Amino acid sequence: MSRLFRMPPQVFRIFLLALGIVVVYSIARYFLTPDSFGEYGWYRGEALAELAKREPVYAGKAACAECHSDEYQALVKHEHKTLSCESCHGTGQAHADNPDVKMEMLNYGHCVRCHQASPSRPKWLKQIASKAHYAGSKCTECHVPHSPTEVP
Amino acid sequence: MKSWLSRRNLLSRLSIAAAGLLAASAARSAKAAVQKVFASSGAPRGYDPAMHKWRMAIDANRCIGCGLCAEACKKENHVPEGQYFRTWIERYIIAKPKPGSGEARGETLVDSPSGGMHGFPESIVPNAEIQHSFFVPKLCNLCEHSPCVQVCPVGATFDAPDGTVLIDPKYCIGCGFCIQACPYGCRFLSPVTKTAEKCTLCYHRITRGLKPACVEVCPTQARVFGDLMNPVADDPLQQFYQNNLVQALKPHLGTKPRVFYAGIDKEVR
Repeated sequence: MSRLFRMPPQVFRIFLLALGIVVVYSIARYFLTPDSFGEYGWYRGEALAELAKREPVYAGKAACAECHSDEYQALVKHEHKTLSCESCHGTGQAHADNPDVKMEMLNYGHCVRCHQASPSRPKWLKQIASKAHYAGSKCTECHVPHSPTEVP
Repeated sequence: MKSWLSRRNLLSRLSIAAAGLLAASAARSAKAAVQKVFASSGAPRGYDPAMHKWRMAIDANRCIGCGLCAEACKKENHVPEGQYFRTWIERYIIAKPKPGSGEARGETLVDSPSGGMHGFPESIVPNAEIQHSFFVPKLCNLCEHSPCVQVCPVGATFDAPDGTVLIDPKYCIGCGFCIQACPYGCRFLSPVTKTAEKCTLCYHRITRGLKPACVEVCPTQARVFGDLMNPVADDPLQQFYQNNLVQALKPHLGTKPRVFYAGIDKEVR
């Protein structure tokens, strides 16, 4: 102890200051580090649960099939079986939670969104030059969207 | 000599121990109060990220460029209006070489108007001069060695155990280092939250057993999604790996993307 006090006072003060910084840092670190930090890695583990908490906007095909099983059965038997209901009908979670909320209205531009002829589209896809294909505007006059290989 | 069990000695030791315990519990409750203000959210737990390995795969042969995925992503994730995208579609147009030029191919043109979310207008290259043209959906490549994670100075972006690369919006300081670091251009600084944003594989959907929104609405199954740890019957992801010769984007950078592509040209970066 007596040796420590023989240290020059300016060195001793620096030593004390360094000790103070370490103590303040340790206290701040104890209080400010979230409990879940380091749970999975060098980040806040709780962030995963927070990101997962948000509500979906698209309900998924299975939710639609619960009530609309007839349409669902028609869809999965034909060429459009890979489509989701929400591919054409729009976001469905609000409607699934409360059936009074209406789905988006469909417009006929939606068919040509996929089927308009384009050199960039793969050859296996059925494509039409829509204006030359039909002068009218309603695709459903001839085609059934849920079962496109059928003729009404 | 006084015994250590003397009344005075024992009482003083006991009171020191009690004071220590009180101080520890006070510190703990003070910490909980501080945590409540700064970080803790009380978000529900129950999903175990160690039990999943999520993967996305893209079959470019099946992409028809309808843009439903880019549109669905905007709606599902409340992506800000304007030129901000978590996923988008690029159209590649490779022109025929000029006659007598001795080249194998002409110039490559890449465009993505509004991320392709409203479809694509007719190309400026006339149809007769196109050698090849195709669509490539793009999203976060979910790298195993992510440059964005390496450069983040505050530990806000991280590689989660379930194979997703995520951003903690409460930790992000909006410095933008990650946006510069990403070689695939998959990140942007949100003008609303002023934090970095990117594809999360629809983390709120996959933890509920739903598919990401882009995979859900894709009409041709060009986007394939699955869990390597829990394959389902006729797992689309396993079938994708079986039926295709796959490649990753920019493999020379050593980022080890987890998103695999099938059917893309050498021009795709």
